[in-house]
Amino acid sequence: MFKELDPILHSQLRLAVMSLLINVKEAEFTFIKEKTNSTAGNLSVQVQKLKEVGYIDVAKQFKENYPQTTCKITAKGIEAFESYVNALQAYLKV
Amino acid sequence: MPNEKQLSEKESLQLITDMIQKVKNSYHDKGVGPLLWGTVVAIASFVSYLQLEYDFKLPFDIWLIVLGAIIPQIYLINQDKKTQKIKRHEDAALNAVWLVYALTIFGLSFYQSFAPNAAEQIMKTYGWQLVKHQIDNSKPDEIISPFTPSFYSLYILVYAFPTMITGLVKKYRPMIIGAIIAYSLFIVSCFTETKYDFLLGAISALACWFIPGILLRRMYLQQKKSNV
Repeated sequence: MFKELDPILHSQLRLAVMSLLINVKEAEFTFIKEKTNSTAGNLSVQVQKLKEVGYIDVAKQFKENYPQTTCKITAKGIEAFESYVNALQAYLKV
Repeated sequence: MPNEKQLSEKESLQLITDMIQKVKNSYHDKGVGPLLWGTVVAIASFVSYLQLEYDFKLPFDIWLIVLGAIIPQIYLINQDKKTQKIKRHEDAALNAVWLVYALTIFGLSFYQSFAPNAAEQIMKTYGWQLVKHQIDNSKPDEIISPFTPSFYSLYILVYAFPTMITGLVKKYRPMIIGAIIAYSLFIVSCFTETKYDFLLGAISALACWFIPGILLRRMYLQQKKSNV
Protein backbone atom coordinates (compact mmCIF):
# COMPACT_ATOMS: atom_id res chain seq x y z
CA MET A 1 0.00 0.00 0.00
CA PHE A 2 1.48 3.35 -1.01
CA LYS A 3 1.60 6.20 1.44
CA GLU A 4 -0.47 9.18 0.30
CA LEU A 5 1.62 12.14 -0.85
CA ASP A 6 1.43 15.20 1.40
CA PRO A 7 -1.06 17.52 -0.40
CA ILE A 8 0.72 20.60 0.96
CA LEU A 9 3.96 19.61 -0.74
CA HIS A 10 2.42 18.01 -3.80
CA SER A 11 1.95 21.31 -5.58
CA GLN A 12 4.49 22.80 -7.94
CA LEU A 13 5.35 26.12 -6.32
CA ARG A 14 5.23 24.94 -2.70
CA LEU A 15 7.44 21.96 -3.55
CA ALA A 16 9.86 24.27 -5.38
CA VAL A 17 10.05 26.56 -2.31
CA MET A 18 10.65 23.63 0.03
CA SER A 19 13.28 22.13 -2.30
CA LEU A 20 15.15 25.44 -2.26
CA LEU A 21 14.91 25.89 1.50
CA ILE A 22 16.00 22.32 2.33
CA ASN A 23 19.41 23.20 0.84
CA VAL A 24 20.08 26.43 2.70
CA LYS A 25 19.94 27.77 6.24
CA GLU A 26 17.73 30.64 5.14
CA ALA A 27 16.83 32.48 1.94
CA GLU A 28 15.42 35.89 1.09
CA PHE A 29 11.99 36.09 -0.46
CA THR A 30 13.45 37.79 -3.56
CA PHE A 31 15.85 34.88 -4.05
CA ILE A 32 13.03 32.33 -3.89
CA LYS A 33 10.93 34.43 -6.29
CA GLU A 34 13.80 34.62 -8.77
CA LYS A 35 14.64 30.91 -8.63
CA THR A 36 11.04 29.72 -8.87
CA ASN A 37 10.11 32.22 -11.62
CA SER A 38 6.97 33.11 -9.71
CA THR A 39 5.15 36.37 -9.10
CA ALA A 40 5.41 38.06 -5.70
CA GLY A 41 1.66 37.71 -5.04
CA ASN A 42 1.52 34.04 -5.94
CA LEU A 43 4.63 33.25 -3.94
CA SER A 44 3.33 35.16 -0.89
CA VAL A 45 0.19 33.03 -0.81
CA GLN A 46 2.13 29.75 -1.03
CA VAL A 47 4.71 30.87 1.53
CA GLN A 48 1.85 31.77 3.88
CA LYS A 49 0.35 28.27 3.44
CA LEU A 50 3.69 26.63 4.23
CA LYS A 51 4.03 28.87 7.27
CA GLU A 52 0.51 28.03 8.50
CA VAL A 53 1.27 24.29 8.55
CA GLY A 54 4.57 24.96 10.32
CA TYR A 55 6.85 23.83 7.50
CA ILE A 56 8.71 27.14 7.29
CA ASP A 57 9.44 30.19 9.45
CA VAL A 58 9.09 33.63 7.93
CA ALA A 59 10.94 36.62 9.38
CA LYS A 60 10.35 40.20 8.33
CA GLN A 61 12.95 42.84 9.11
CA PHE A 62 14.58 45.96 7.69
CA LYS A 63 17.90 45.86 5.88
CA GLU A 64 19.40 49.19 4.75
CA ASN A 65 15.98 50.85 5.21
CA TYR A 66 14.25 48.31 2.95
CA PRO A 67 11.87 45.61 4.15
CA GLN A 68 13.36 42.16 3.89
CA THR A 69 11.58 38.83 4.22
CA THR A 70 13.58 35.70 4.90
CA CYS A 71 12.30 32.13 4.94
CA LYS A 72 13.73 29.18 6.80
CA ILE A 73 12.65 25.55 6.82
CA THR A 74 11.59 24.16 10.23
CA ALA A 75 12.28 20.74 11.75
CA LYS A 76 8.67 19.80 10.95
CA GLY A 77 9.23 20.96 7.37
CA ILE A 78 12.38 18.86 7.02
CA GLU A 79 10.53 15.81 8.34
CA ALA A 80 7.61 16.39 5.94
CA PHE A 81 9.97 16.90 3.00
CA GLU A 82 11.87 13.70 3.79
CA SER A 83 8.63 11.70 4.09
CA TYR A 84 7.47 13.19 0.79
CA VAL A 85 10.68 12.21 -1.00
CA ASN A 86 10.54 8.70 0.51
CA ALA A 87 6.94 8.32 -0.65
CA LEU A 88 7.90 9.51 -4.15
CA GLN A 89 10.74 7.01 -4.27
CA ALA A 90 8.36 4.24 -3.20
CA TYR A 91 5.98 5.17 -6.00
CA LEU A 92 8.72 5.27 -8.57
CA LYS A 93 10.60 2.34 -7.02
CA VAL A 94 13.81 4.36 -7.24
CA MET B 1 5.43 28.97 -12.11
CA PRO B 2 1.71 28.16 -11.67
CA ASN B 3 0.84 27.82 -8.00
CA GLU B 4 -1.43 24.80 -7.75
CA LYS B 5 -0.39 22.64 -10.70
CA GLN B 6 -0.60 19.00 -9.64
CA LEU B 7 2.53 17.12 -10.47
CA SER B 8 3.15 13.54 -11.38
CA GLU B 9 5.60 11.70 -9.15
CA LYS B 10 8.27 11.87 -11.82
CA GLU B 11 7.74 15.62 -12.31
CA SER B 12 8.01 16.14 -8.55
CA LEU B 13 11.36 14.40 -8.37
CA GLN B 14 12.56 16.35 -11.39
CA LEU B 15 11.47 19.63 -9.80
CA ILE B 16 13.31 18.81 -6.57
CA THR B 17 16.47 17.97 -8.55
CA ASP B 18 16.18 21.20 -10.58
CA MET B 19 15.79 23.34 -7.48
CA ILE B 20 18.78 21.69 -5.77
CA GLN B 21 20.81 22.42 -8.90
CA LYS B 22 19.60 26.03 -9.01
CA VAL B 23 20.74 26.62 -5.43
CA LYS B 24 24.07 24.99 -6.22
CA ASN B 25 24.60 27.27 -9.22
CA SER B 26 23.33 30.40 -7.51
CA TYR B 27 26.25 31.04 -5.27
CA HIS B 28 29.92 31.20 -6.03
CA ASP B 29 32.55 32.71 -3.86
CA LYS B 30 33.86 35.84 -5.61
CA GLY B 31 37.38 34.64 -4.91
CA VAL B 32 38.57 38.09 -3.80
CA GLY B 33 39.39 37.02 -0.22
CA PRO B 34 41.62 34.07 -1.19
CA LEU B 35 43.24 36.20 -3.92
CA LEU B 36 43.97 39.01 -1.46
CA TRP B 37 45.45 36.74 1.24
CA GLY B 38 47.29 34.58 -1.26
CA THR B 39 48.93 37.69 -2.69
CA VAL B 40 49.97 39.40 0.55
CA VAL B 41 51.24 36.26 2.30
CA ALA B 42 53.14 35.14 -0.81
CA ILE B 43 54.72 38.61 -1.22
CA ALA B 44 55.63 38.90 2.48
CA SER B 45 57.12 35.38 2.51
CA PHE B 46 59.03 35.89 -0.72
CA VAL B 47 60.43 39.28 0.34
CA SER B 48 61.49 37.72 3.69
CA TYR B 49 63.33 35.04 1.73
CA LEU B 50 65.02 37.68 -0.49
CA GLN B 51 66.10 39.68 2.59
CA LEU B 52 67.81 36.62 4.05
CA GLU B 53 69.25 35.37 0.77
CA TYR B 54 70.68 38.72 -0.37
CA ASP B 55 71.32 40.15 3.09
CA PHE B 56 69.37 43.39 2.93
CA LYS B 57 66.62 44.85 5.09
CA LEU B 58 63.63 46.91 4.06
CA PRO B 59 63.02 50.07 6.14
CA PHE B 60 59.73 48.54 7.36
CA ASP B 61 58.52 45.09 8.35
CA ILE B 62 57.12 43.50 5.19
CA TRP B 63 54.63 41.49 7.29
CA LEU B 64 52.79 44.74 7.99
CA ILE B 65 51.15 44.33 4.55
CA VAL B 66 49.37 41.26 5.95
CA LEU B 67 47.99 43.40 8.78
CA GLY B 68 47.07 46.07 6.22
CA ALA B 69 45.04 43.53 4.24
CA ILE B 70 42.63 43.17 7.18
CA ILE B 71 40.97 46.52 6.29
CA PRO B 72 39.91 45.59 2.72
CA GLN B 73 38.93 42.13 4.03
CA ILE B 74 36.50 43.66 6.55
CA TYR B 75 35.07 45.84 3.74
CA LEU B 76 34.66 42.77 1.50
CA ILE B 77 32.89 40.79 4.25
CA ASN B 78 30.46 43.68 4.81
CA GLN B 79 29.79 44.01 1.06
CA ASP B 80 29.13 40.26 0.85
CA LYS B 81 26.70 40.41 3.76
CA LYS B 82 24.77 43.18 2.00
CA THR B 83 24.44 41.34 -1.30
CA GLN B 84 24.05 37.76 -0.07
CA LYS B 85 20.49 36.50 -0.43
CA ILE B 86 20.99 33.09 1.13
CA LYS B 87 22.78 31.72 4.13
CA ARG B 88 24.20 28.24 3.85
CA HIS B 89 24.40 25.71 6.64
CA GLU B 90 28.18 25.57 6.43
CA ASP B 91 28.75 29.36 6.44
CA ALA B 92 28.80 29.79 10.22
CA ALA B 93 31.09 26.78 10.72
CA LEU B 94 33.57 27.94 8.08
CA ASN B 95 33.59 31.49 9.46
CA ALA B 96 34.42 30.00 12.86
CA VAL B 97 37.27 27.96 11.35
CA TRP B 98 38.80 31.07 9.72
CA LEU B 99 38.38 33.07 12.92
CA VAL B 100 40.23 30.36 14.86
CA TYR B 101 42.89 30.37 12.13
CA ALA B 102 43.36 34.15 12.52
CA LEU B 103 43.65 33.74 16.31
CA THR B 104 46.19 30.94 15.84
CA ILE B 105 48.32 33.08 13.50
CA PHE B 106 48.12 35.91 16.04
CA GLY B 107 49.12 33.45 18.78
CA LEU B 108 52.11 32.22 16.77
CA SER B 109 53.27 35.80 16.09
CA PHE B 110 52.87 36.62 19.77
CA TYR B 111 54.87 33.54 20.77
CA GLN B 112 57.59 34.38 18.25
CA SER B 113 57.83 37.96 19.50
CA PHE B 114 57.76 37.34 23.24
CA ALA B 115 58.80 33.76 24.00
CA PRO B 116 62.55 34.19 23.25
CA ASN B 117 62.84 37.25 25.56
CA ALA B 118 60.82 35.53 28.26
CA ALA B 119 63.01 32.43 27.91
CA GLU B 120 66.12 34.59 28.26
CA GLN B 121 64.77 36.11 31.49
CA ILE B 122 63.84 32.69 32.88
CA MET B 123 67.28 31.31 32.01
CA LYS B 124 68.90 34.28 33.76
CA THR B 125 66.87 33.48 36.86
CA TYR B 126 68.28 29.96 36.83
CA GLY B 127 71.74 31.23 36.03
CA TRP B 128 71.95 29.73 32.54
CA GLN B 129 72.84 31.19 29.17
CA LEU B 130 72.82 29.93 25.58
CA VAL B 131 76.24 29.67 24.00
CA LYS B 132 77.15 29.09 20.37
CA HIS B 133 80.00 26.64 20.43
CA GLN B 134 81.92 25.68 17.29
CA ILE B 135 82.52 21.94 17.47
CA ASP B 136 85.91 22.26 15.78
CA ASN B 137 86.85 25.18 18.07
CA SER B 138 87.58 27.34 14.99
CA LYS B 139 85.87 30.32 16.63
CA PRO B 140 85.53 31.39 20.25
CA ASP B 141 82.24 30.65 22.04
CA GLU B 142 79.58 33.30 21.58
CA ILE B 143 76.65 34.08 23.90
CA ILE B 144 73.38 34.13 21.95
CA SER B 145 69.73 34.89 22.70
CA PRO B 146 67.15 32.09 22.68
CA PHE B 147 65.50 31.63 19.30
CA THR B 148 62.83 29.47 17.74
CA PRO B 149 64.42 27.24 15.10
CA SER B 150 62.62 26.79 11.77
CA PHE B 151 59.61 28.61 13.18
CA TYR B 152 58.07 29.52 9.83
CA SER B 153 57.39 25.78 9.30
CA LEU B 154 54.60 26.10 11.88
CA TYR B 155 53.01 28.92 9.87
CA ILE B 156 53.02 26.69 6.77
CA LEU B 157 51.34 23.96 8.81
CA VAL B 158 48.72 26.43 10.04
CA TYR B 159 48.09 27.74 6.48
CA ALA B 160 47.07 24.23 5.47
CA PHE B 161 44.43 23.51 8.12
CA PRO B 162 41.60 26.02 7.37
CA THR B 163 42.28 25.53 3.65
CA MET B 164 41.81 21.77 3.95
CA ILE B 165 38.60 22.17 6.00
CA THR B 166 37.16 24.70 3.52
CA GLY B 167 38.10 22.49 0.58
CA LEU B 168 36.54 19.38 2.16
CA VAL B 169 33.34 21.13 3.30
CA LYS B 170 32.81 22.95 0.01
CA LYS B 171 34.07 19.97 -1.99
CA TYR B 172 36.41 22.39 -3.74
CA ARG B 173 39.31 20.37 -5.12
CA PRO B 174 41.82 23.23 -5.78
CA MET B 175 41.81 24.09 -2.05
CA ILE B 176 42.21 20.43 -1.05
CA ILE B 177 45.17 20.14 -3.43
CA GLY B 178 46.56 23.46 -2.12
CA ALA B 179 46.34 22.18 1.46
CA ILE B 180 48.04 18.88 0.53
CA ILE B 181 50.86 20.88 -1.11
CA ALA B 182 51.17 23.02 2.05
CA TYR B 183 51.29 19.93 4.30
CA SER B 184 54.01 18.44 2.06
CA LEU B 185 55.99 21.70 2.09
CA PHE B 186 55.68 21.81 5.88
CA ILE B 187 57.45 18.45 6.06
CA VAL B 188 60.12 19.64 3.61
CA SER B 189 60.57 22.88 5.59
CA CYS B 190 61.44 20.91 8.74
CA PHE B 191 64.68 19.95 6.98
CA THR B 192 65.56 23.25 5.33
CA GLU B 193 67.14 26.52 6.45
CA THR B 194 64.84 29.33 7.63
CA LYS B 195 65.35 31.38 4.44
CA TYR B 196 64.08 28.47 2.34
CA ASP B 197 61.17 28.01 4.74
CA PHE B 198 60.02 31.49 3.68
CA LEU B 199 60.25 30.47 0.04
CA LEU B 200 58.21 27.32 0.78
CA GLY B 201 55.73 29.53 2.68
CA ALA B 202 55.32 31.73 -0.42
CA ILE B 203 54.62 28.63 -2.55
CA SER B 204 52.13 27.40 0.08
CA ALA B 205 50.26 30.73 0.02
CA LEU B 206 50.05 30.56 -3.78
CA ALA B 207 48.83 26.93 -3.68
CA CYS B 208 46.37 27.36 -0.79
CA TRP B 209 44.78 30.68 -1.73
CA PHE B 210 46.09 32.51 -4.78
CA ILE B 211 45.50 29.78 -7.37
CA PRO B 212 42.14 28.62 -5.89
CA GLY B 213 41.22 32.33 -5.69
CA ILE B 214 41.92 32.84 -9.41
CA LEU B 215 39.83 29.76 -10.27
CA LEU B 216 36.98 30.92 -8.01
CA ARG B 217 37.09 34.39 -9.54
CA ARG B 218 36.95 32.93 -13.03
CA MET B 219 33.97 30.73 -12.11
CA TYR B 220 32.19 33.68 -10.49
CA LEU B 221 32.70 35.93 -13.52
CA GLN B 222 31.53 33.18 -15.88
CA GLN B 223 28.43 32.62 -13.77
CA LYS B 224 27.74 36.37 -13.64
CA LYS B 225 28.08 36.57 -17.42
CA SER B 226 25.68 33.66 -17.94
CA ASN B 227 23.12 35.29 -15.61
CA VAL B 228 23.06 38.55 -17.60
